[in-house]
Amino acid sequence: MSSRIYLDYCSTTPVHPSVRDKMLRVLDADFGNPSSMHWAGKDSRQLIDQSRADVASGIGCQPSEIVFTSGATEADNLALFGILRLFPSNEAHLITSAIEHHAVLHAAHRLEQDGYSVTYLPVDEHGLVNPEDVRRAIRPETKLISIMYVNNEVGSVQPIAEIGKIAHEHNIRFHTDAVQAVGLFDVNVDDLNVDTLSLSAHKIYGPKGIGALYLRAGLELAPMILGGPQEHSLRAGTENVPGIVGLGAAMNHVRQHRAEERVRIMELRKSLIDRLRAQAPEVIVNGLEEATAPHILSISFVGADAEMMLIRLDGEGIAVSLGSACNSKSIEPSHVLTAMKLPQEQIDSTLRFSLGMPTTKDEIDVLLDVITSVLPRVTVQ
Amino acid sequence: MSKYKVCVVGGHCSNRVIIVAEQLTEYFEKQGIDCQVFTHLAASEYGFPPRSNLILQLLPAFNEEEAGVPVINIKPLIGDPLHPATIEKILKQIRADYPM
Repeated sequence: MSSRIYLDYCSTTPVHPSVRDKMLRVLDADFGNPSSMHWAGKDSRQLIDQSRADVASGIGCQPSEIVFTSGATEADNLALFGILRLFPSNEAHLITSAIEHHAVLHAAHRLEQDGYSVTYLPVDEHGLVNPEDVRRAIRPETKLISIMYVNNEVGSVQPIAEIGKIAHEHNIRFHTDAVQAVGLFDVNVDDLNVDTLSLSAHKIYGPKGIGALYLRAGLELAPMILGGPQEHSLRAGTENVPGIVGLGAAMNHVRQHRAEERVRIMELRKSLIDRLRAQAPEVIVNGLEEATAPHILSISFVGADAEMMLIRLDGEGIAVSLGSACNSKSIEPSHVLTAMKLPQEQIDSTLRFSLGMPTTKDEIDVLLDVITSVLPRVTVQ
Repeated sequence: MSKYKVCVVGGHCSNRVIIVAEQLTEYFEKQGIDCQVFTHLAASEYGFPPRSNLILQLLPAFNEEEAGVPVINIKPLIGDPLHPATIEKILKQIRADYPM
C-alpha cells in the first residue's frame, strides 16, 4: 500500500498546528466560565471577544454580528427556524434550492411539516440556481431565501450577490450556507448581500463542534436553545471556549493564505483534470468550470462502479468520497446529482475529490497512477 | 459432502447485502436448492475473496481469476429481487456446479 493520501477536505480538514497550539493553551490554562465576574471568567471572555473579532474579520462584518454555534448545521437551523418562526406558519414562505446541504433541506422539510410553505428551486445541469427562478418564486409572504454559496458535492458557486440583491429589492432576508466557501474565497457579507451566513471551523482547519452564524445588525431572530444570555441571548449555554478560540485561529489562518491557496489549488485541479482526460477520455467533470470552486472535483468515471472504485482507492490509501449513499433497500443517489438531472449511470460512477492546503503535486501524481491501475478493475460488466 | 456455498458480496452497506442475501436464500429454498448463503463486504475485507463455491457480487469486487470460483454480477437484484436474466444466470451456474 502506498502512503496515505487524503482528498476529502470537503468532509473535514485536519486541525492546523497553529490552531491546535492556541486551543491547547486554552484547555490548559483558561478554564473560566466566560459569564463569571472574576479574573478567570474575564480571561475566557477576552478570548471569546478576540475570536469573535477574528471570525468577523474573515467575512467582513462586525464582531457583534457573530453568533457562535456548535457548527454550521446549527447555524443553518438557527437561520431558518429563527427567522421563519417569527411569523405564523400560514404567513411565511421560504425559498431554497434542491441542492442545499441536508442541514438546510431537512430544516425546510420540518418547517413544511409545521405548516410553512417552501419552494425548492431547481438547478441546471451544472448545479447552478438561476437568479430569475428566485425572482419568479417570490410571493408576498416570502420571508427568507436560503441558497448555499458553494455546493459541497459538485462545487458549483451560486450567484449569491445577485440573488441577495433580488431578495433585498423585495425586502426579504437572505441566508447563505458558506461552509465550503470561507476557506478559499474572500467572503464579504456586504458584497454578497447576505443577512445571515453559516460557517464551520472543521472545514477550515479548525476543530469539530464549533461554527458561527453571521447575523446582520438589527435583524431579529427567534432563539432555538433557551437558557442563559450567552451569544446575545440567541444561543444559550456556556460557551465552548477552546472551540471558539480554535475557530478564530482557523479563520485567521485561512484568511492569511486563501488567496495564494486558491491559485495553487486551481493549478493542481487543472493538472488533475487535464491528465485524467488524457488517460481516461470517458471521464466527465461535473459542473461548469468557470463557476466551480477550485477545491471540489466531482468526476464521473462513466462505466465504472464508483463505490468499488472508492473501496479500491481506499485500499491503496487514497481517501475520496462517493456521490451516492446506500440505504437498506436501494442505492440512494446524491440529491445534488439527481437535481442536476444527470443520467443514473453517470451518478453511479461519480466520485468527489476535494483538495486542501496540504494537498501536493506528488499526491496528485500518485492519485493519477492509482486511478489508471484501478479503473479497468471497477468497470461494470 | 459439504454444502454448496454462495457468497453475496457488497460494498459498504451491510443492510443492502443482507437483504439481497435473504431474498436469495428464500428463493433458493423455494427452488429446492440446498445451499448456504452468506455475505461479504468488500469495504471491510478488502482484497480477500471469500471462500465459497460461487460469488454473487453487487459491485465489481472480484474477478474469477483472483476468486478461483465463478463470479456473477447481480446489481440488478437491488431494484428487482427476481430480475429474470440475473436469476437465470445464477441458476445456470448452480446447476452446472451442483447438479440436483
